[in-house]
Amino acid sequence: MRIVIAGAGEVGSHLAKLLSAEEQDILLIDDNTDRLAVLDANYNLMTFPGNPTSFSTLRDASVGNADLFIAVTPYEASNIVACSIAKTLGAKKTVARIDSYDFMDPRNSDVVNSMGIDRVIYPEYLAAQEIITALKRTWARYWFELHDGNLILAGIKLRQGAPLAGMMLRDLAYSNHELHVSAIKRNHETIIPRGDDRIEAGDILYITTTRERIPDLITLTGKQEHKIKRVLIMGASKMAIRLVRSAGNEFKFKIVDNDAEVCRQLPFKCPDCEIIYGDGRDPELLADIGISEMDAFVALTDSSETNIFTCLTAKDMGIKKTVADVENIQFISQAENLNIGTVVNKKLLASSSIFQLLLDADSSTSKCLALADAEVAELEAREGSKITKAPVKDLSLPKELTLAGLFRDGEGLLINGNTHIRPGDRVLVFCLAGALHKVEKLFS
Amino acid sequence: MMFKKIPRTLINLRLIIRIVGWLLIIEAGFLVFPTVTCLIYGESDWLPFGATSAGTLIVGLLLAWQSHPVSMYAGKRDGYLLTSLVWVVFSLFGLIPFLFCTHPLSFTDAFFEAMSGFTTTGASVIESVNDMSHGMHMWRAMTQWIGGMGIILFTLALLPMLNYSGGLQLFNAEMTGLTHDKIQPRINQTAKTLWLMYTGLTVLLIGLLCLGPMSFFDSICHAFGTISTGGYSSHSDGMTLWHDSVYIKCVMIVFMFLGGVNFGLLYKLLHGKVKALLRNDVFKTFVGIIFVMLGIFALVITLRGQAFNWESVTLDPLFHIVSTITSTGYSVANFELWGPITLVLTFVMMAFGGCAGSTAGGMKIDRIILLFKTGHNELYRCLYPRSITSVKISGSIISSEIISKVFAFLCIFILLIIGGGLTLTACGVPLVDSFFSTFSCLSNTGLGAGITGSEGSYSELPGLAKWVLSFLMLVGRLEIFTVLVVLTPSFWNR
Repeated sequence: MRIVIAGAGEVGSHLAKLLSAEEQDILLIDDNTDRLAVLDANYNLMTFPGNPTSFSTLRDASVGNADLFIAVTPYEASNIVACSIAKTLGAKKTVARIDSYDFMDPRNSDVVNSMGIDRVIYPEYLAAQEIITALKRTWARYWFELHDGNLILAGIKLRQGAPLAGMMLRDLAYSNHELHVSAIKRNHETIIPRGDDRIEAGDILYITTTRERIPDLITLTGKQEHKIKRVLIMGASKMAIRLVRSAGNEFKFKIVDNDAEVCRQLPFKCPDCEIIYGDGRDPELLADIGISEMDAFVALTDSSETNIFTCLTAKDMGIKKTVADVENIQFISQAENLNIGTVVNKKLLASSSIFQLLLDADSSTSKCLALADAEVAELEAREGSKITKAPVKDLSLPKELTLAGLFRDGEGLLINGNTHIRPGDRVLVFCLAGALHKVEKLFS
Repeated sequence: MMFKKIPRTLINLRLIIRIVGWLLIIEAGFLVFPTVTCLIYGESDWLPFGATSAGTLIVGLLLAWQSHPVSMYAGKRDGYLLTSLVWVVFSLFGLIPFLFCTHPLSFTDAFFEAMSGFTTTGASVIESVNDMSHGMHMWRAMTQWIGGMGIILFTLALLPMLNYSGGLQLFNAEMTGLTHDKIQPRINQTAKTLWLMYTGLTVLLIGLLCLGPMSFFDSICHAFGTISTGGYSSHSDGMTLWHDSVYIKCVMIVFMFLGGVNFGLLYKLLHGKVKALLRNDVFKTFVGIIFVMLGIFALVITLRGQAFNWESVTLDPLFHIVSTITSTGYSVANFELWGPITLVLTFVMMAFGGCAGSTAGGMKIDRIILLFKTGHNELYRCLYPRSITSVKISGSIISSEIISKVFAFLCIFILLIIGGGLTLTACGVPLVDSFFSTFSCLSNTGLGAGITGSEGSYSELPGLAKWVLSFLMLVGRLEIFTVLVVLTPSFWNR
């Protein structure tokens, strides 16, 4: 697929690298030639210097032939203009990164479409949704729900003493628990496990299951559910404001920020929450504002390091659930191994929306989740596709992927070696990074 | 993928060995062509070619299958080392037929001949080319053709395994020019497009030459030597044999010229973007230099009373100029008769070379423009010290990092010329001839003057001189940095 990405910022470069690894044809446009030079010399993609909102640049870059045009410059207005131009020039599908809920509002969708924008990405909104899920399901690090929760993929860190710890996967399969361990993250590496792999304490398990089995899952992983009400947010970033506005009345928020001007503006943006001016890294201040009364701590400053360390401090002070925004992708794996609950990353969320577009351009119900070094996708098995030809164990699937579960006739099912996938099934696939194009081939 | 495992070793030797293995398999494939040629003409040389092909295939297979890389990671060091290594290994295997053919060469001569072919220099140590078998001619022509667009680039087009960022390091190490301009998003598409255009031009040229007074076999050999800007001929007298054919000369001039033009630009032209051509400063300068030179040459030739007919003041000097500036090195007339001025200008043109991203050698017009513009800026700043100046080529501003890299290139280029020239002089070669051959080999032109000129050949040079020149050809073909960086201590230490 020929993909043009406008804007080589954090999100743009990340997408470009990722999609290039997925064997797509990438053209990256930016007006900063230094930034492009680095990417051009080290990645298998083409760069094009120029202003993404100029007609001549987009024309010279033959945007008209593009199957997908993604505008991810830091400015919402530029992205919209760029998409609009690209669509007029003939780009098949356009995606714009936006900064405000207005463009997502269903009431405005006609207007947005008429501007030539097919899809919007709002990373802060996605992050806010992710955080809200994490606050509702305190015991899971990741929570990925399909078809109204009929099929669930949860990422859970296994503690010492949990019933599952030390168990062979083969034994787990015989024990008749309706669980499918799709992947294990151990020591910075995600593996697709086989029958003779052993589950160890400290692993992050990605487990697929059905709704009825959630209580089982909680017991087996040795977790407890906590009800979250009071949430302390550090850093009044865009993501924090979006979180407060999306969450409604379910939680009570307190926001700490160390910029006086930002704090003064904050009441206009989120009128219902308590605002404290001060440095969230200061334990005395945290004690003063009553951190012991809080149920959750969410660190959303611009600095990944600050977020990680304050979350650790908050854990030490007795907070049950912490969430950190970690924008440096290299740190995510480190942060996950530490005692931090959930880690969110805008870039990964943005790329998961793009993957969704790549996999299933027609269907809006399909879902996708990008982790730091793996992807989870839901795909429909087409008539005559390779995946439907034989039972799973006879398909000789690539070892970078596993089929976790499927959704058939309104019911979620787990997949084992004997499952025969039928056309029309919606299948949950877990695959390591860079292998998504293999998945696509299996299903089409 | 996101957590790229940083390799513990400095160089991914196993991966390099495996890729060298793949490349040898490809070379074995190329060696089939001269074998078949020998068989068609019923020559006994098919045996050394066939044996070399088989041997190369076996070694290639062994290297490719017996080396198990721990990771497929290829860094900058791997790219530089592999690229330099491949050219040497290709020459080492490519020289074997020269050792065992009907008119065998010594090892030194064979290495020189093979390296001269692959680097498209075209300087030959074979005194009587006419005695060689057809297979030999074919192989000499093919070495140039493969080397013209680049061995690595060919591999990138062929092997899907290299279509990831590791392959990119190889591309960067082999592609010449100030920046590495891709013409397609993916590296194998870029390589394929370039090779397709190259092959297309070659086929077109073979056809056009056939139409003239040239046999089919000679057309193939000369087409390979022309489009790759190599300069090997299948006849002892070289192109002087076709001195009387205006048609052949014109066709050759056009295609040598095309070989000296940036292939990315030709690609744009193919897509109907004529404006890109007119906007390109490098192309305009390239054409400009050719015409200015033609004017001077015509004047000098007329003044020296060498103007026998219209051809000897127009077509012959034009052929010589295009042949020299694109580093091809064919000659239709004995340019030494035109006097010292033209010899000096030949020096200058060899140094200039063609456009970056072409098959031509030399310093490349892009760098020359940049040097002159920067020089002019510095002079201007003597008058207005506070003025901010920039160097603009084809509408885009060149960063100061690239400018300083070009100056470093120039310095090393000059040092190599001085070093090479003095070494040759120390070997007993006359001073001017030493410098001429050094220039000729470093810029991959392959012209000779004096003892290497029309009266003699490179075979008269002492052994050490041939090794020095072979090294310079390689350094010149890979645009200096790729080879020399491998020889620096910091390449091998962390």
